[in-house]
Amino acid sequence: MSDIPQGLVSFDVGKAAVTMNVDADVYPLQALYGAAFIFIDRCYVFIDKPAQGQFRVTLGARGTVEDEEALRRLVGEFANELLTCAWRHQITQDNRMLIEAVTMQAIGGAAGSPSLDDLANFDFSDDAFEDPLGIAQSWEEKHGKKAGAGEDAT
Amino acid sequence: MIELRFHRDIYAGESVDEALKVFERFATWEREQTDDAWVVRCTHDDAAREKKVANELANYALGLTIRRGGAT
Amino acid sequence: MSLAQLSPKVGFPAFFRFREVAGKVVVTNFEGNYLILEKDEFARYVEGRVTPDEPLHARLDAANFLRDTYRITEAAEAVRRRKHFLSYGPILHLMVVTLRCNETCVYCHASRANMDQVDTDMSKETAEKVVDMILDCTNPFVTIEFQGGEPLVNFEVVKHTIEYALRKNETVGKRLEFTMVSNLSLMDEDKLDYLMKHRVQLCTSIDGPEKLHNSQRKLATMDAYQKSAFWMKRINEKYVEAGLDPTLYHVEALLTTTKATLPLYKEIVDTYVSLGCKTIFLRPIDPFGFAERVRLRVEYPRSAYLEFYRNALDYILELNRQGVEILERFAAIFLTKILQGEDPNFLDVRNPAGAGIGQLGYGYDGAVFTCDEGRMLHAMGDDTLRLGHVATHTYRDIVTHETVRAMTLASNLDGQPDCVNCAYQPYCGTIPAHNHKAQGSIFGRMRDNNVCMVHKGIQDYLFEKLADADAQTLKIFERWTTLRPREHFVHDGGDA
Repeated sequence: MSDIPQGLVSFDVGKAAVTMNVDADVYPLQALYGAAFIFIDRCYVFIDKPAQGQFRVTLGARGTVEDEEALRRLVGEFANELLTCAWRHQITQDNRMLIEAVTMQAIGGAAGSPSLDDLANFDFSDDAFEDPLGIAQSWEEKHGKKAGAGEDAT
Repeated sequence: MIELRFHRDIYAGESVDEALKVFERFATWEREQTDDAWVVRCTHDDAAREKKVANELANYALGLTIRRGGAT
Repeated sequence: MSLAQLSPKVGFPAFFRFREVAGKVVVTNFEGNYLILEKDEFARYVEGRVTPDEPLHARLDAANFLRDTYRITEAAEAVRRRKHFLSYGPILHLMVVTLRCNETCVYCHASRANMDQVDTDMSKETAEKVVDMILDCTNPFVTIEFQGGEPLVNFEVVKHTIEYALRKNETVGKRLEFTMVSNLSLMDEDKLDYLMKHRVQLCTSIDGPEKLHNSQRKLATMDAYQKSAFWMKRINEKYVEAGLDPTLYHVEALLTTTKATLPLYKEIVDTYVSLGCKTIFLRPIDPFGFAERVRLRVEYPRSAYLEFYRNALDYILELNRQGVEILERFAAIFLTKILQGEDPNFLDVRNPAGAGIGQLGYGYDGAVFTCDEGRMLHAMGDDTLRLGHVATHTYRDIVTHETVRAMTLASNLDGQPDCVNCAYQPYCGTIPAHNHKAQGSIFGRMRDNNVCMVHKGIQDYLFEKLADADAQTLKIFERWTTLRPREHFVHDGGDA
């Protein structure tokens, strides 16, 4: 793979690892996560951020490697996956409405309406309910005046 | 000793902590926080094992971070 | 001024995708209409230079390819028709009543067990729970397909399942169909009488001519082909005795295309015709269920498969021109979508794919999977596509499982790189289980994806034929896309 631009990838056969620099403008972190997740069962993946607008991915083979070629194949595969993930990230944003509509229809159509048994088994307890966006909070809880001196913060 | 610097923009602190809990018994660990990273140092008598455990921990922390949707 | 008020000039193209095929250009639009244009026509279309007084304008307008006359309601209706399957849950329920099998096939490894492994038989209790889940499904029409292993090995449970399902369906009221995929070698007259009486559709496996079949599917007596052929003939006689139209009611067979199959395309088609089959499905081998050393023996590059497919299809069309009725199923699936604007709901060529929302697989122990491939992955130690268990989960738990949502999202071609720009997107589908096995993620990468290559190659072939516009070929294609439902096999709730 002599067509990898110089300075983008560096190989260390002794450490069985290859490092690739990634431009964050081209490949968003979500795409990097996507590609990394696919690779963590076949090699060691470590992501760093050496500078603003730049990521550095280190892929380590699980065992020893014979030569640089094995590392080239690994990083080449990763680069292909990364490109696919970056493009998917873009088009899922572009086609979000369409994808969501089809998915909701598909799952809703398959699931149908809940039965009385389903409702009876529904877990209404507070513990199981995660509300990271604060949707279930009252307006006062969410936007009430800030606790002043002498008042307990809620 | 192997030092892993998990960048705060990439790795969730909770995920690194969770990974450390899982791998605690496989090596000796030190942890430190800097402005931009969760720093983890791994020590083991056997260098090969040290490398393997450190790598596995890094993979695990990354996997957990991705599962929760990112560092923030 | 808002964008809606912009008035595009006459001849300005609406959204389209394109692909060059045999020196012409296939263009398709959002709702799946197609046109085959000459290159100069395509250039003028793209540049918006088609004037209203020329025939090309009328063609483009009729197929809804022009921006200024774009008929949104018509397009929406066409998309709704194509995606009719989204309104209901799984239609196909694959029930593995045992892993035991009396045949040893070269390509089958993980999805079978030896005859003494009785612990891989489904119990009657589990079968009842499977049926309970199936009848909870939102689809008013469900097919229960008995699989194995070899389902005739556990015939008692097959019978129990049928009778329990028919009894329970008296109150549920679904349209219910039973099918069985069997090698037929354990069939006897009593079993056949039972299956005929209960209107179970039978399907078998034929790998090709006797020599090839017997070398790939091994019985201790080395006569797997003879046994299958004997019972196919016998079952077809039974259909005639029952007064059923033999052109519609006959045993069909499934082909497993291995490396050894590829040069024998003529012999394979001839074998199917001689056995009374009206359909042949030239599917490439799946990457599931066999070990790496077997892969080298049975696998082949997809380019070799496509060459085989083209040769076989040419031969099948030639036979049809001579009056022999034999249909290739892949072609029929794609042509129904291309020519009729309908989706025949074949679950592996669907957008989104059928995994979990169009089909469910039930293991002998009651485990539930998104599809049959999920069960095979489970047998190979990968539980990614396992959704739960009939004893501990409800139907709704299963179809709303996060894995089903992920599979649905991953197989939506509007979110898939390459597919978003592919001219064949309205007719195509990806298989998340295959992507997971072959490429490490349920999304896959279409540029080096075997399923994508096969689907594109087949559609290239079909569009070449459509571009040729040979009247006889078009007539054959039209016949292949005319659906004739086999109502005899359908049990309406209450007619047990």
